[in-house]
Amino acid sequence: MKHWWKILGVLLMIYSIVAGLAIPLKPGIYDAITASKAITGAPIDIVAVGYLTKFDNTKDDLRAWLKVDNEHAIASTAIKVESESRLKVSFDIPNNLPSADKTVDAALIIDSKKNGYSIFPSAVFIKNTVGTNSAAGWTNAISNMTQHQGMSFPYRNILQETIRNLFYHVPLWFGMMIIFLISAINSGRFLKTKNSKFDHKAASYASVGTLFGILGLVTGAIWAKHTWGAYWSWDIKQNMSAIAMLVYLAYFVLRNSFEESEQSARIGAVYNIFAFVTLPMLLFVIPRLTDSLHPGNGGNPGFGGEDLDNNMRMVFYPAIIGFTLFGAWMANILYRLKAVQQRLLDKAFHSA
Amino acid sequence: MSFTSQIFHLIKKEFVLEWRQRYALSGILLYVLATVFIVYSSFIRVPDTAWNSTFWIIIVFASVNAIAKSFIGESGNRTLYYYSLMNPYAVILSKMIYNTLLLLILCLLCYAAFSFIAGNPVQNVQLFYLILFLGGTGFSITFTFISAIAAKSKNNATLMAILSFPIILPILMTLINLSANALGMIKDTAYTNDILILIAIDLILVGMALILFPFLWRD
Repeated sequence: MKHWWKILGVLLMIYSIVAGLAIPLKPGIYDAITASKAITGAPIDIVAVGYLTKFDNTKDDLRAWLKVDNEHAIASTAIKVESESRLKVSFDIPNNLPSADKTVDAALIIDSKKNGYSIFPSAVFIKNTVGTNSAAGWTNAISNMTQHQGMSFPYRNILQETIRNLFYHVPLWFGMMIIFLISAINSGRFLKTKNSKFDHKAASYASVGTLFGILGLVTGAIWAKHTWGAYWSWDIKQNMSAIAMLVYLAYFVLRNSFEESEQSARIGAVYNIFAFVTLPMLLFVIPRLTDSLHPGNGGNPGFGGEDLDNNMRMVFYPAIIGFTLFGAWMANILYRLKAVQQRLLDKAFHSA
Repeated sequence: MSFTSQIFHLIKKEFVLEWRQRYALSGILLYVLATVFIVYSSFIRVPDTAWNSTFWIIIVFASVNAIAKSFIGESGNRTLYYYSLMNPYAVILSKMIYNTLLLLILCLLCYAAFSFIAGNPVQNVQLFYLILFLGGTGFSITFTFISAIAAKSKNNATLMAILSFPIILPILMTLINLSANALGMIKDTAYTNDILILIAIDLILVGMALILFPFLWRD
């Protein structure tokens, strides 16, 4: 079985697409609506809008808190189920705030056996109208949180369903780096052996790598539309990725600017290796220097923690391997096409 | 001839050639002055952010023009002569050293012209000179190597631009970031990090250029 890696690549890709799209998200709070301003010493009603929640089945064990920080929270006084996705929660805010700030933001936490627990950060901003601060009335009684049962991906407030794009956007970039590396290695082997076979390989891998990069930019732009608000926000990471694509487009222009094929292959190989060395600087070094919206850049934390649980890892890592193998297969077909074209050309040349 | 004396003689040759055809050097100097005047006339009062970015953009374009001729200007016969006589490392290193010196003069001149015409907002002068030095070195390494690639093709002017601009960007971004520090636009105490990144980029590019040049120069 010399084609095992192609089959493996296709299976992993199918797995990552099916599992990545079919596994549901955890139930979560989508929005928190308040009719009045939250002030100290007054009751407040918050309508929690749930996503994929089943509030109507879970009347009995519903619990809710407003949490200011890890030591200070209040439990709800009443919970009224309006529909399966709407919940009216009432709180009596104590006379004092636990911190010296004029306003504090509080997260809404809802817990039930069926839905598991979910958190909506900054649900309300509580204004201190009395002016003193003490911890009286605040407790740290949040306990016995229920985990959601069954296979699911985390619900994150900004990402929502787009969290699945992690399985397609990120593996495309991983795959691109590996494929460009293979291309650069083949260029090096060409310079060493002067065998045009390696030049065809290097060019094929570079084409597929560029395709992956462009797809990575497109999937990133779609993700950015949902999370950052625009397809293209001139973010440093987006700009540098686009520039990296320009580097490789210039490689194809350079190859085509020579009439003699040996010269085109040799100079193309030199530039390909030089370009690959600058790639990590464009994609990883420069975006860290300035502000960026992208995770892992400009002082942002990388994707991880609560964004990436073990269920997601089970799809994410196979997706990386699957995309890379699939890309290698594409490059392999391109290479064989080039080799056949070369052979036909040689044959025509010799018979003429 | 030993390696160092080869480098020495090649650099000397560059200086002699430059001195014999002074129009090249004076052309670049006039280029810098003319662009600085254009920048001044379009801004009148140049804000610090614009000072910073236009300064480096002018330097990038002036360096491309200055360095593009370093391999493109060599005739085929002379290249053949080097090939039979010299070590390839000596050829590329001498060009890089000569171009670095040329770019340092160009950077200092550009700085002087900018200070004279558009004002001098630089607060940390020592840091700024260090940035000019690192920037000149980085530009010289990249543009010299790319000009060696582009010189092989017929439409070398276009190739010089499309091959070098994307590759120069990491250096340029770090330089603009650092010089914003020197201008006092941002207060970042951790700028030594940026300097180390710049030095690392310069070293990597020199290393790659040295490894790859022997494959490039002979046809």
